[in-house]
Amino acid sequence: METIKNALDFSDSPRIDLTIAGLVALFLLVFPIFPHSAFAMATMIQFLMFSLYGMGWNTIGGYGGQVDLGKAQYVGIGAYTTAVMLIRWDVPFWISMPIGMCFAVIWSFIIGYPLFRLKGHYFAIATIATTLVLKDIFEVWDFVGAARGLEISPIKYIPPDFLRLIFKQDVYYYYVILGFFFLGILYVNWFRRSRLGFQLRSIKDNEDVAQSLGINVHWAKVKTYAIATAFVSLVGSFHACYIKNIEPEDTMSLDLSILIALMAMLGGAGSLWGPIIGAGILIPCKSYLKEWLGAQVGLVGIDLIIYAGIIMVISAFEPRGIWGIVEKVRRRKRS
Amino acid sequence: MDILISSLFAGLLIGMVLALVALGLNIIFGVMEIVNFAHGEFLMVGMYTGLFTAQATGMEPLLTLPVAAVVGFLLGIICYYGFIKFLIRGPMVAQLLGTFGLMLFLRNIALLIFGSEDRALHHGILVDKSFDMGMGVIVPATKLTAAGLSVVAFGAVWLLMNRTKIGKALTATALNAQGARYMGIPTERMNALAWGIGGGSVTIAGALIVNFWSVNPFMGLLFTMIAFAIVALGGFGSVPGAFFAGLVVGLITEIPGIWDFFTYTFNFDWMNNVPMTSLKYMWVYLAYFVIVVVRPRGLFGWKQ
Repeated sequence: METIKNALDFSDSPRIDLTIAGLVALFLLVFPIFPHSAFAMATMIQFLMFSLYGMGWNTIGGYGGQVDLGKAQYVGIGAYTTAVMLIRWDVPFWISMPIGMCFAVIWSFIIGYPLFRLKGHYFAIATIATTLVLKDIFEVWDFVGAARGLEISPIKYIPPDFLRLIFKQDVYYYYVILGFFFLGILYVNWFRRSRLGFQLRSIKDNEDVAQSLGINVHWAKVKTYAIATAFVSLVGSFHACYIKNIEPEDTMSLDLSILIALMAMLGGAGSLWGPIIGAGILIPCKSYLKEWLGAQVGLVGIDLIIYAGIIMVISAFEPRGIWGIVEKVRRRKRS
Repeated sequence: MDILISSLFAGLLIGMVLALVALGLNIIFGVMEIVNFAHGEFLMVGMYTGLFTAQATGMEPLLTLPVAAVVGFLLGIICYYGFIKFLIRGPMVAQLLGTFGLMLFLRNIALLIFGSEDRALHHGILVDKSFDMGMGVIVPATKLTAAGLSVVAFGAVWLLMNRTKIGKALTATALNAQGARYMGIPTERMNALAWGIGGGSVTIAGALIVNFWSVNPFMGLLFTMIAFAIVALGGFGSVPGAFFAGLVVGLITEIPGIWDFFTYTFNFDWMNNVPMTSLKYMWVYLAYFVIVVVRPRGLFGWKQ
């Protein structure tokens, strides 16, 4: 009861933030009613998925300050667990999703335990290395379809199938992921003021001091890493049902890991709304650039050049993200 | 037995080239503690430079090395003054993502200009020649020359770092930037120089590799990860460490050949079924992971 009350308690945000957040939430709820193209709908679903990825990354990367560039491996674990179980044993999404989460969390403990002895660059590159190892294994593992990947054929099921999450219209997917999105916000809102959240922020500020205050630094990091993993793996499972065609190349690639971290940083790592703002800017930007410049003008790669330019400019000139700018302006107003 | 010896030999040869690839990353990290994700893309630039200079002028591919070195040096300097200078003020996450942005930028510009197909060199005095080293080991002349010249280039950079005033200034900046600034060393220029030397050495390696390896815009990441593994094994900031680690990682990339040898020798059926060649580079990544977990300092490292 206490937990739920804490999760619903947004009273430390200024009223203007809450108003904007409420309006955005309302817009998200009624968005499918308005006329929209299929492309816009797909972009919105991508936006919600990446917000969730970003929220997951934000727990360990933003509040904890541990630069994790290996989140894609958990997307892969979640997606593959769901797809394999659905195709081979006809296990519904709502059962395979928690199982995938368990696998991902177990894997995160296995690699997180040695990894968190490392700091800084070493940690970041080691997370990339583990992702690439896992991707290489999945590319030769016949049980999960090797490099061809897996395909969930929607013909076998009668849509709308709420148990297996096989739908014809994207609207259903939209509302499912929207539900997860709101739950994710509530969870992060609870998390940032939980005992672990406070411990993590003190670790970010000064690890030695945190240790001397009696915080088990290593264990706190491993636990938070598992939480971030659970988020990412959940969306990975959803990804399997939504995209229906998963390959190691697009569920476990380094680009995905980087995109997740980048979004949280663009919005402002270590803040509640940061990852959502980041996803809200980057995802439409990315997909529309690709659609207009890549597909229509016919210049291959120009969308990614612009995207890379955005990354470079942000990281060089405003590394604290958009939320950092907002806070700077507010502080100036107050003084 | 032939297979074993020739795999070991091939591993050592490629290892010498890879050591030169990793050297640039090592110098840059040693001097200013920034991890350059675009390192493999620098290598790709070197490969394209070597390829097009050789094809356009019709000259001997080995003579393109100075051109590649100049291009790499300028690329490093431009990247430093245009981008990295602003990046190093920010937190670490921004540095990592920023150099990743640089990597995407270079990769996609190459994609836009050159297209995604593989390109390779087919002329020059070395092509289609090979040496018989005895004991059934036959080495292509291109690889042997590339390895030899890599060692020469490596030695030159080592001399530059250890026997000249500039090298001493670079080392001083690496050890303590603030102290070096008080002693009158222009640390800003030293950082730029580290990027120049790093870029130059890796593009030389690229111009050597293009003699026996085809180039496409997506090949950078593989070499970046190999270079990370080498640098981690040798110790961040240690030049001789990078050389020995290069040899070790070169041998690791030859694990499939060694595996083949054991398969033939002992005739185990299950060994045939392991798709070893597809997992070729997995061992490098795994090696990186094990190295940093077991011994983060590396074999010869002095930076913690």
